[in-house]
Amino acid sequence: MRLFENINIDFLGKRKTFYIISISLIVLGLISVFVKGLEYGIDFKGGTEVIVSFNKPVQLADVRTAASQIGIGNVEVKTYGTTAENVLIRTPLQEISQEQFDRIVVNIKKAIEEVIPETLYSVKDKATNSIVFTFSSPDTAKFIVDQLLSKGFQAGLFSQEETNRDIIVRVGVSDLIREGLKNKFTNYSFEVIKEDKVGPKIGKELRRDAVIAIFLSLIVILIYLGFRFKFVFGVGAVLALFHDVLVTLGFVSFFNGLIPGLNLEITQSIIAAFLTLVGFSVNDTVVVFDRIRENLKIHKTMDLKDLFNMSINRTLSRTILTSGTVFLVVLALLLFGGEVNRGFAFTFMIGIITGTYSSIYIASAIVYDWTMKRKKGKIEF
Amino acid sequence: MKKYRFKIFLILAIIGLGIYFLYPTIQDYFNSKEIQKVLQERKETYLKEHPNAKPAELDRYLTQIEDSIRNADPSIKKAREKRIKLGLDLQGGMYIVLEVNTLKLLEKLAKNPDENFYEILKATENIVKVSEEPVVQVFAQEAKKRGIRLSRYFGEIRDDDDKIISMLEKQAEDAVTRAQEIIRNRVDQYGVSEPSIHLSGSRRIIVELPGVARKEEARQLLQGTALLEFNLVKDPEFTFALLEKINKVLAGKPLEDTLVKDTAKADTTKKSPDQMTKEEFEKEYPLFTVAVPNPQSQTADLFVRENDRTKVEMMLNRPEVQNVIPKDVKFVWSAKPEFYAEGQGIYRLYCVKATPELTGGVITDARATLDPQNSSPIVTMEMNAEGARDWARITGNNIDKRIAIILDGVVFSAPTVRSKITGGRSQIENIGTLEEAKLLEIVLKAGALPAPVEIIEERVIGPSLGQDSIQKGLTSAFLGGLFVIIFMLIWYRTAGGVADFAVILNVFFILAVLAGFGATLTLPGIAGIILTIGMAVDANVLVNERVREELKTGKTIKAAIDAGYSKAFSAIFDGNITTFFTGLILYQFGSGPIQGFALTLMIGIAATLFTQLFVTRLIFDVFVEQGKKPNFG
Repeated sequence: MRLFENINIDFLGKRKTFYIISISLIVLGLISVFVKGLEYGIDFKGGTEVIVSFNKPVQLADVRTAASQIGIGNVEVKTYGTTAENVLIRTPLQEISQEQFDRIVVNIKKAIEEVIPETLYSVKDKATNSIVFTFSSPDTAKFIVDQLLSKGFQAGLFSQEETNRDIIVRVGVSDLIREGLKNKFTNYSFEVIKEDKVGPKIGKELRRDAVIAIFLSLIVILIYLGFRFKFVFGVGAVLALFHDVLVTLGFVSFFNGLIPGLNLEITQSIIAAFLTLVGFSVNDTVVVFDRIRENLKIHKTMDLKDLFNMSINRTLSRTILTSGTVFLVVLALLLFGGEVNRGFAFTFMIGIITGTYSSIYIASAIVYDWTMKRKKGKIEF
Repeated sequence: MKKYRFKIFLILAIIGLGIYFLYPTIQDYFNSKEIQKVLQERKETYLKEHPNAKPAELDRYLTQIEDSIRNADPSIKKAREKRIKLGLDLQGGMYIVLEVNTLKLLEKLAKNPDENFYEILKATENIVKVSEEPVVQVFAQEAKKRGIRLSRYFGEIRDDDDKIISMLEKQAEDAVTRAQEIIRNRVDQYGVSEPSIHLSGSRRIIVELPGVARKEEARQLLQGTALLEFNLVKDPEFTFALLEKINKVLAGKPLEDTLVKDTAKADTTKKSPDQMTKEEFEKEYPLFTVAVPNPQSQTADLFVRENDRTKVEMMLNRPEVQNVIPKDVKFVWSAKPEFYAEGQGIYRLYCVKATPELTGGVITDARATLDPQNSSPIVTMEMNAEGARDWARITGNNIDKRIAIILDGVVFSAPTVRSKITGGRSQIENIGTLEEAKLLEIVLKAGALPAPVEIIEERVIGPSLGQDSIQKGLTSAFLGGLFVIIFMLIWYRTAGGVADFAVILNVFFILAVLAGFGATLTLPGIAGIILTIGMAVDANVLVNERVREELKTGKTIKAAIDAGYSKAFSAIFDGNITTFFTGLILYQFGSGPIQGFALTLMIGIAATLFTQLFVTRLIFDVFVEQGKKPNFG
């Protein structure tokens, strides 16, 4: 079987049209990024994310009201996956406020009172996310821990020593959420299937790392292609990559939240998708450049525009074929890969389309225009 | 064929190596299946016998069974250690980042802290919350800003700031190592398979516990203060009598005969242990067959192979055995295997007095050094006044006896008391290496100043979520691969078949390398493999398209293949290498999942270059050599 045999499309002739298409896509995408914004995942923002699985489908609105009444600020509530039982609750809060801390401590004290009325104890130590109580005897401490645990508090003995009379109770955002839900949804049972807690510092590190990684990749590509080809090819490839990344970013921003079950906030796996698309797109572009380089050596006197067009046309079937097969593989990932892989697959799929488009229409066109302007129409190898 | 013999041999050798690396993974897969079947059966019978069993009890019972099966056969264990490791996202578990609270440490170290001190501390807290700077440095800067000398709170009056800073930094660093060692020790005792504990930055400890879903237990494990105890080791006479009794109980003998009677009888009717056959001995001394006392030594410590630990534990936990063990006595394991035989660690089992003579709170300092007299490693420790008083009494009463140093329930050392120690300065000798001495120093300090450890990040990945994901990830990878294989066969016929073989070989190589290096496969890793499939297909398409072009110009098949490969080479090479560099940078600067992705991508690219430029080429060459004409569709 054959694809695109003996075709001769004048890609470079229409390059102005494609520049306009690309620039408008980028501009529209950037508008979406600025207006709608990008949603950063928990990895970047820091905060607490709890995924709760109920025993039967719940109304999201109910969970939302329940969660907002807990008083932990701006709470996000969404379905997780495609089932109505799983709910994702997220709060940007990392530490709870002094007031909430005190409120929970009051609750803990009340619970202790309920277990053993009029027992003597004192607060030994307070940290940002825990409180330590001292009891009159080791046995009391053990008993209280068991009872507090069964009441849903995250209590534990401070140490395993026989003489230990201290217990430590954790006070955190997820405790507030659990507690709030338990009170509201009395005739439901639920379990927390995933709980992520990320410090903002870690988020900052991650963001810095990701930006460094992307810029370094681009520089390395520029250097490598400049070394293996000519500097101008490196510029063409890197500009085409910028194009791909920006267009895809626009799509990610635009489609986020529009398709149910598709989570497109910026997480590590979306970052991975962007980096994969950089790798894929550059591979795609290099193959076309390779053919141009080869033809430049053979047809030394040919008009540059015709030579570029010929090279693109001759590699067209290969470009479409490989992009098509990779597209199929990623499509499988999108459809069957599960929630965790879906964001990755969608982003990469957009990336494949723009990457293929830019290898055909944009990368060579930039090299062509640059050469015509700077080098007066000559590239020599 | 002859001229290709070496290449064929090379490829087969590499495939053989791959099989060698992947074999444990396959073995482990079947082992796990088998164990699951046994567990299911046991579960059913257990539920039948105990209809009212609580889930936790059942769970404990099943875990114990599973442990004993896994530990009984070394090959099962070995396969598990060498299989492809699955990331937390694939098998569920806990990911915890702990941070040593240096601020609290400073607060505890400070002498006479006043208003100013807390003000500085507060300012430091606000800064380190959002920056990466070392806490001690920030604290020092804040103090300087306010014109306060550090010697006001730390060290001697005459000490200058630099000296105090380096002292405090040393303390902070110490606290982290100590916390790490305590955590490692506890995790080891907890028995998580493949735990990973490593430092991140200067004061963060990352702990990954695959398969652990009991959060409270894990938290307790990681956060509680360490428990250091000094317990008297029981006399050999007492211990041997007790062991004899336990053996009797296990062998199903009546206990009425006192020890004396029994020995008397043994003289006339029974053979001594040396004369017994192996079977007789096993029947008579069930405990001694797995836990061996050393007849040459003065002690009654038992030596147990790593594999037999669970067996011994189960024996000792039997209710009838528990009945004969006096309440004031307990058996404690050594923290680490002391000897190795046949690749297995040998643990020591001590019989100690159940109540500790002293606990670790009294220790103020410990230091590992070399004995100036014979330059063998020693550890010195110092106690506070109260501890020193007790210590003098304890050592005075127990000269020539051994005292076990127990941290969190395992024995790190059991030195013999030489003389009464007054003044609270003691010295522990007879330590094998300086490294062991260092460990003991950490252990002893663990009971001293508690450096508070706080959990700053915590991810629990429910195993159900993980199971689901792995299934979906695998299904999609399989389906995606299948699409491509069928497509290539239709499109390129024979050449497509060759390409398919190459792609399958490619995935095989990636997995083998992952297994061989002990790397961990994660979900993004699977994504990386899928991308590799794409890149490998691309390389095949490049070559095949090129060969087709060459065939069209009227070249012979051999010439077309030669030309196709040589012309496609630069495109394949440049494209893959650029992506490889991207992967390299991702690996260097990315974190966690991104690194996993980058690693599989890089391995994949190496495998692609090998299969594309070497293996498929060779297959075509052999085809042509044999006079066949491969169909390029």
